[in-house]
Amino acid sequence: MNTMQSSAQAATAARRGIVIEGRDVGKSFGGGSVIALEGASFSVKAGSFVSLVGPSGCGKSTLLRLIAGLIDRTSGQLTVHGRDVKGPHSDVGMMFQRATLLEWRTAIENVLLPVELQRTVTAADRARATELLAMVGLKDFAFSFPSQLSGGMQQRVALARLLQTGADILLLDEPFGALDEFTRERLNIELMRIVGEVGATTLFVTHNILEAIFLADEVMVMTPRPGRLARMVHVPFARPRTPELTLTPEFNALVAEVRDILGTH
Amino acid sequence: MADVVTQMAATGGKSLRQRQNATHIGIFLTLILLWELGALMGWLDPLFFPAPSAILTSFWRIYFAQGNIWYHLYVSLGLVFAGFTAGSILGIGLGAVVGMNGLVRRFLQPYVIVLEATPRIAVAPLLIAALGFGATSKIAIIMLVCFFAPFINTLSGVINVDRDRMELMRSLGASKLQVLRKLVLPEAVPVIMAGERLALTSALSGVLVAEFIQRDQGIGTLILTYTRNLNMASAFACILTLTLIGFLIFKGMEKLDHHIAYWKNEAGLRRVGAKRAQAWATAQRGQSNA
Repeated sequence: MNTMQSSAQAATAARRGIVIEGRDVGKSFGGGSVIALEGASFSVKAGSFVSLVGPSGCGKSTLLRLIAGLIDRTSGQLTVHGRDVKGPHSDVGMMFQRATLLEWRTAIENVLLPVELQRTVTAADRARATELLAMVGLKDFAFSFPSQLSGGMQQRVALARLLQTGADILLLDEPFGALDEFTRERLNIELMRIVGEVGATTLFVTHNILEAIFLADEVMVMTPRPGRLARMVHVPFARPRTPELTLTPEFNALVAEVRDILGTH
Repeated sequence: MADVVTQMAATGGKSLRQRQNATHIGIFLTLILLWELGALMGWLDPLFFPAPSAILTSFWRIYFAQGNIWYHLYVSLGLVFAGFTAGSILGIGLGAVVGMNGLVRRFLQPYVIVLEATPRIAVAPLLIAALGFGATSKIAIIMLVCFFAPFINTLSGVINVDRDRMELMRSLGASKLQVLRKLVLPEAVPVIMAGERLALTSALSGVLVAEFIQRDQGIGTLILTYTRNLNMASAFACILTLTLIGFLIFKGMEKLDHHIAYWKNEAGLRRVGAKRAQAWATAQRGQSNA
């Protein structure tokens, strides 16, 4: 009965092309005394790029961790590919603000880690890792150790590692937040190109409104205390996008709209 | 042009180092000479400061003429090796188990604190009473003094594992054993090595205490015997031998640490990086030949 219901749910979700769906998702800590996220209802279409934007404490990271199954929700329904999220699962790959590379492994060994944890590494896996490092622009640094790479390069390795998981949903938690402005801008543009190439669905957490709009098809605007999903804002601009886009009046109208939502809540 | 400048800088640096070395040797020889002179003129009590020449003669005697130190060194170092190995394995193993298991840790914590506050050497006579005279109780004493540093360091290394990396491993679906093998232990290696260094130094003290108490054989017993016979020069020769061993242990552990925790030093990164690149190339070639 239960399985029939969930397979029926999966079928409907697939028909609509929706990969992540949340209904009234909530998370509280300390037996309900601290509410991190409340009543979040949303759906994410396959292959879309969604930014989660909002000030600290609005539950952006909490929502990402809920979707990854790293923490359990305290209320509501949450499905990925139509399946209920219970614990960590292999449909999603995560990337954090810190590169979280293993310092005792070379770049390419770090990229191969996800495979190594699942099965024996094959020649095809090695070839794929080499290809991914080239894709993130680190072809010549395969045998460098993390401490020999700059912060931006370390995040590129982390991105390659994320892609090596083969997950079709990428959860990025302020991945370039610790980098300088120039590096960040360049990596953002490369990120758009790369996720476009692999056709992944992407959730991107940031507290930078411009960045959120520039990258995304949809912006989830979130407000704090308690964390709430205030509104989904659609971003209509065509791809590929260039930094000049941020100077157009249409773009700035959207920025104003998001600012307005954040300011009035 | 630039080459000439670097070359000049290099030779300049070398001669400076040579000059410094010469000064060190000069000061050292002067002190030894003064000491010898003081002993010769009777200014120094030979019970506290036997003449350098007398110590040198003792060295010759215990190493070559009489050659009696070899056996005692062999016995003591054998005990150090046995006790250190057993103590380390126990310490690292238990540290990893306790660190990975929150429940065990909570219940064990009070005992660890109490035991850590107790001077381990105080337990030595009890161990001898329980295990009797002989090698077993000596090894037990050395194990006891060796156990704590690796245990505590492994424990703290395992507990303080990077949270983000832990989350990453979880999100990649790693099992508990994989987390231990691929993240926790490698990350704890530098701290564990620091514990091992302390443990080996403690082992050297431990064997001396065990031999002081049991007084049957070993370098500790030898020192005791020479001192009782007021043969201070020979006792000094034994102590200087221990100084040398301690120094070699320190240097050896430093080398081992650089080797094992290769990612913590520049030379290690270059060495291992080159080796891995080569292994990778070999694997690729094998693949294309097949």
